[in-house]
Amino acid sequence: MSSGFSGVLQLTDLDDFITPSQECIKPVVIEKTASGTGSKIKIQNDGSYVQVNEGGDTEKLRRVDISLSDCLACSGCITSAESVLITQQSQDEMLKVFQNNKQLRECGKEKESKLIVVSISIQPVLSLAARYKLEPHDAFQRLSGYLKSIGADVVLDMTLSEDLSLLESETEFLERFRSKSGGSKTCLPMFTSSCPGWVCYAEKTHGSFILPYISSTKSPQQIQGTLVKQLIAKNRSYQAANVYHVTVEPCYDKKLEASRNDFYNEQEDSRDVDCVITSIELEQMLMSQNLSLSDIPPAEVDFPWLEGSSSTEPCSYKGTLVRHRGTGSGGYADHVMAVAAYELFGESSAQLNFKVLRNPDLREAILEKDGQVVLRFAVANGFRNIQNLMQKLKRGKCPYDFVEIMACPSGCLNGGAQVRPEEGVQQKELTTQLEKCYEELPIHTPKSNPLVQEIYANFLGGMGSDRISTSLHTAYHAVEKMNTALNIKW
Amino acid sequence: MLFEPYHLTYVLRLIEFPKHDIPFADCKQPKLQLVQVLSGHRGRVWNVSWHPGGNILASCGEDKTIRLWGTEGGPEGKWVVKTSLTDGHERTIREVAWSPCGNYLASASFDATTAIWDKKSGTWECNATLEGHENEIKSVSWAKSGQLLATCSRDKTVWVWEIAEEDEYECAAVVNAHVQDVKKVVWHPTDEILVSASYDNSIKMFRNDPADDDWSCIATLTSHTSTVWSIAFDRTGTRLASVSDDGTLKIWRVYLPGNGEGIGLPDDIDPRWKCVCTIVGLHSRSIYDVAWCHQTDLIATACGDDVVRIFQECPDSDPHQPSFNLVASSSGVNGHHQDVNAVAWHPTIPGLLASASDDGDVKLWKFLEGEL
Amino acid sequence: MLLSFLQKSKSLIGIGEQQTSPLSSSVSGLSVPNDLQSNSSNMSSSSMDRQSTDQSDHKQFQELIYDYIRSIKDPEKPATLEDLHVVYEEGVKVKGVTPGNVKMVEIEFNPTVPHCSLATLIGLCIRVQLERTVALSNPFKLDIYIKKGAHNTEDEINKQINDKERIAAAMENPNLRKIVEECIQEED
Repeated sequence: MSSGFSGVLQLTDLDDFITPSQECIKPVVIEKTASGTGSKIKIQNDGSYVQVNEGGDTEKLRRVDISLSDCLACSGCITSAESVLITQQSQDEMLKVFQNNKQLRECGKEKESKLIVVSISIQPVLSLAARYKLEPHDAFQRLSGYLKSIGADVVLDMTLSEDLSLLESETEFLERFRSKSGGSKTCLPMFTSSCPGWVCYAEKTHGSFILPYISSTKSPQQIQGTLVKQLIAKNRSYQAANVYHVTVEPCYDKKLEASRNDFYNEQEDSRDVDCVITSIELEQMLMSQNLSLSDIPPAEVDFPWLEGSSSTEPCSYKGTLVRHRGTGSGGYADHVMAVAAYELFGESSAQLNFKVLRNPDLREAILEKDGQVVLRFAVANGFRNIQNLMQKLKRGKCPYDFVEIMACPSGCLNGGAQVRPEEGVQQKELTTQLEKCYEELPIHTPKSNPLVQEIYANFLGGMGSDRISTSLHTAYHAVEKMNTALNIKW
Repeated sequence: MLFEPYHLTYVLRLIEFPKHDIPFADCKQPKLQLVQVLSGHRGRVWNVSWHPGGNILASCGEDKTIRLWGTEGGPEGKWVVKTSLTDGHERTIREVAWSPCGNYLASASFDATTAIWDKKSGTWECNATLEGHENEIKSVSWAKSGQLLATCSRDKTVWVWEIAEEDEYECAAVVNAHVQDVKKVVWHPTDEILVSASYDNSIKMFRNDPADDDWSCIATLTSHTSTVWSIAFDRTGTRLASVSDDGTLKIWRVYLPGNGEGIGLPDDIDPRWKCVCTIVGLHSRSIYDVAWCHQTDLIATACGDDVVRIFQECPDSDPHQPSFNLVASSSGVNGHHQDVNAVAWHPTIPGLLASASDDGDVKLWKFLEGEL
Repeated sequence: MLLSFLQKSKSLIGIGEQQTSPLSSSVSGLSVPNDLQSNSSNMSSSSMDRQSTDQSDHKQFQELIYDYIRSIKDPEKPATLEDLHVVYEEGVKVKGVTPGNVKMVEIEFNPTVPHCSLATLIGLCIRVQLERTVALSNPFKLDIYIKKGAHNTEDEINKQINDKERIAAAMENPNLRKIVEECIQEED
């Protein structure tokens, strides 16, 4: 397991054996300057290509760069070729920006420098805590300290974005369920969308058939992106393009998600998330500097959410590491089911028990009323369970109302780019350890977060505002199979 | 072609055979006698499979049909087409496999699906289709229990399917261990161990891990220098034969943990497979299939040089360094006219062999023991 | 080398495949190691004559094959493989025969640029063209290779274009099939 991608992407599209120059089949638009016919292309000794015009003038030809977003829009492979990853989504790229910023500030060009914001999701914190044998909260603060020492201006947790993602999923599900009960043709089951590996697989393999079932709610990473680039940038008087936003995630698939064109703002020339780095890359960065996370002095995680607001309500979780009820992948199934049981069936204290079915990565919970199953929720992790779900859905035999889907077996705590287990330790054991660690964190519920109300009321312009759908929801696109015979791999 | 000193001596011993001055005419050499030609497929025949009861032979190929052959007028009669299954697949049918109970036939196709056929309604029809592979399926195999099925594809994966309920098959695992096209999957004759052979030149073995009910690789067998086309266990499951594009037939032997031979093991649980014999120089093209008879212990190979060859282990063979003799081969006018793609020993009649070829024919052969 | 010798030996001991045809034991310009030659007392002088007829027969066959592949069109350019020097007469060789006396032919081709992504497609066109023409009346065994050093990934490509299963599957892909048909169709 050397790739940081989820198993699903490795299985379906990811092709480690090709490099873009050799086998990439993505047609690219080349801006052509008017040139006469008789020009020739020559290969120089250094391997570069030059065009020789009729007059004998030479012109160096520009290399065509394939970006990750090109890969996503293409029915060919997703390449893990370093040349593609490095250009946009790597620690090197991130460190270059950090370094550049430092230099600008040292030369007194503070105004030209960027605001560097790093958002940390919970799974990498637990992974690094286990790696360096630290308490999760301690690891979180030391990680914050490390990121600040190398150039981060603001370090954030992602609880608020997770809350918003859960609440929007809940609203979306209730709407779908009610309109289905009302007889309209709404797609149920609703599938979660926070795992970009699964979404990418669905777009490429099952296309428009499956997309209506996938929740339009953005993942926490992308909601955080919106908040950082719009809310925090504004509060700190920065243009979105002048905020460099890095997220720390458990999986390479998140790099693909950040690269989606849906999350690029053309007007402001800004991506909601500029760079994603993963647990394993942070470990590498520390190792390359001969550092252990335990050597790093801790620093507070920032909490800039109330800047520019009149709210004075205290935030109970500020400064602590919290978890949501349910799985270590965000707890979507647990949260939505609990709310649905209450909102739709008046069950306020339903015991929602997710029972293991065919394998530990497929679990199901049901709500019964008067002997009838009224809600059936599932958590499905890993490719085989996704596969069975897809086949069942195609045959009209999928019994669920809602499924939380993650591409990695055991979900995000076992993300493809989490730190590898030590010599002699099984992957499974490490995952179990991280799960235990997660369960011991204090539970946080989205509705108890006063910031949520603040965001809806002020930033999003109130309940029912259009801004909610533009800021907290996204869209998916079926990838058409390319039929250019010249490029078919056989 | 690769020659190792050990094999050279083996080869030379074979050559010395005629020195015994036995006139050919008087000596009854073992031979492969053509029993019947089964014509009917249009185009290349890819595979043949005997019903476990032995009274049906299934064949499939380029013409997207499965033909079920049976005898006319009693078990000794002539083999004729009984049924032709034509509406299951959109592309070439690469392999057919009978379930151990004989009630189901699985067919693997280049159309990326596996079809399961049964006769519950009185006639053979497809009652389940297994979808999920990205492209051509190359092989399909039933586990001994009949509860598990394995398939493999050019998409580099091996899938294990579980029979969930009547005509419902669920994916139990997708194993992504090979780095190239997977050509063949075969189950161990007694244990729930799955073996695959690949274009990446390796053979891999997989076993279910009860901890997470997933399948993981327990052994990788490397020695072939090109695509491994097919594999076959002997009746005990302690030896495996493999054939390859490199023109060799290899015999592998298992060494269990705590074996007395001092063969080091990667860890304490998993057995280790060691190549104990390589037969080089006898096949002049790629070898596409191998079958190890569980009654007679004879090995048959299907080769791209149009020949079916039969190998027999030498009686005095050292179990840790066995030697095999080429004892017969399909020949001359009776032989196939193009590549032989598959061979299959009859499950109950010793020495009865079916072969399938690019020439469009299935042939039935009888191996006759020699007498000195 | 040893192979053809073995085929002879097998025919001697009666387990070979070639008793039926007198031509079947032909050895085409293969040398047998000296120490092994002593074992084979039956290497008759007539086999030497046969060798020369084989050679002219092989030459004719090479020419026949070349005639069918020279006119294949390049998948990208409006020119034939011969025009582009992708195929050339000396690239077609009969390397020997199988135990059943079927010719084994090797074709070498030279892709236009070292990283030409169409090399596999050219290999496919050559094979399909020959399967549909020469092989119908004269079955033979074909191996296709890229000229040594002419391609970045020649080993991979050689393996792919000689894998009959991959080729069969490729030709069932309607889009690939279409382009191959276009390349090999006769110009009228």
